[in-house]
Amino acid sequence: MVSLTFSDVTKRFGGRTVIEGLSATLAGGTVTAVTGANGSGKSTLLKMAAKLLLPDAGKIVARDGEQELCKASYRSRLAIVTPEFHAYPKLTARENLDFFLSFRRAEALSDALYEQLLERVGLAPGAVDGKMVEQFSTGMKKRLHFAILLASEADVWLLDEPGANLDAVGRSMVRREARLAADGGKLVLLATNDREEEAEADACISLSGR
Amino acid sequence: MHASLYRAVEAVFRKEARISLRSRSSWLVVLMFALTTLSCVSLLMQGDVLSPRLAAAMLWVILFFSLLSGAGRGFADEEQAGTLMALSVYGSSQAVLFGKGLFMAVLLFALSLLIVPVYLVLMDVAVFAWGLLLLTLLSGTYGMAMAGTLLSALMAGARAQNGLLSILMLPVLLPILLPAIVLTAGCFTGDVNGSYLVGMFLYDAIMTIAASLLFDFLWYED
Repeated sequence: MVSLTFSDVTKRFGGRTVIEGLSATLAGGTVTAVTGANGSGKSTLLKMAAKLLLPDAGKIVARDGEQELCKASYRSRLAIVTPEFHAYPKLTARENLDFFLSFRRAEALSDALYEQLLERVGLAPGAVDGKMVEQFSTGMKKRLHFAILLASEADVWLLDEPGANLDAVGRSMVRREARLAADGGKLVLLATNDREEEAEADACISLSGR
Repeated sequence: MHASLYRAVEAVFRKEARISLRSRSSWLVVLMFALTTLSCVSLLMQGDVLSPRLAAAMLWVILFFSLLSGAGRGFADEEQAGTLMALSVYGSSQAVLFGKGLFMAVLLFALSLLIVPVYLVLMDVAVFAWGLLLLTLLSGTYGMAMAGTLLSALMAGARAQNGLLSILMLPVLLPILLPAIVLTAGCFTGDVNGSYLVGMFLYDAIMTIAASLLFDFLWYED
């Protein structure tokens, strides 16, 4: 199981310290919620966890058991859903899934897996087939991002406001899938201000911002 | 279960081709640039005959600027569409490099196959070594495409992308542009020196290995 250790992590933007001296260990098999007001550094923390942003001080180490994972190896076990994440607008849902899957799975996307993924995220095949992603609604795009995440079979899930732009059924799907993932040994880090999503978490990191 | 590099490269190549065909932007910009330059030059020449070296240089200048005008925007387009983060998280460095690089090479080579016959007719240039001209175009466009892909990745995120790309591209591409021009001129006169082609193949090999090694650092930048 993959674990993620933050040791005395500090992040500044200009003269403003967003995160200061954060130390925490996130273990596989748990859902950890990151909470805090807008601008408190939730998204920043997730980007640092994805190693898309470097801390100004401190260290973030990913391990599989006792073995430290290099960046390439860690990235290959990571999946994210954030507001900045976009699927290719000029491709269909199936083409996007097929493309992202090609990096993580040995086999091509079968019809059965495609239909299963759409069903899990609540997308009707009739509503997406033949359409390019640029024709999708915001909620449909979010569901597709979740389908990509599910298809990737990643060990680490980084979710930034995953319920935003989703209806009640969609938000319930997010909570269910996050719980299932953690029960299956995955590490789920969830930045949220949604009480129901927070209630699903096993641990919580509360950021105050500065 | 892990995906093979071949499958991932093929997926990136297919994705680039699909998006390119659907958006029509990149290849249409490149094609229009080449056709506009060609028609302007041929109209201005008004029947005058260019020296073989000048004719060869002009052909490669058109190809060079075609690369800059559209095909070199691979990563800038990803950033504009907001898909660079998705590609960074899911894509493996080598698959992205070779998928994008090979697509750009195919695009440039196809473009050169369209441009060259039109150019030869409009400029009234004869070719004495078709096979060598084809090999020169193949090697030259491949080297330009690999260098263009690497530099385009380096430039992603920079504010003055086009200006910087042109400045960086020139010194990197000169070692392949100069022999390509000499060889092409040789094909126009029949006086060819094959050692230039060996030099071009060597450049392609070095660029492929260097891009492969450097791209990991760019992609997983610390």
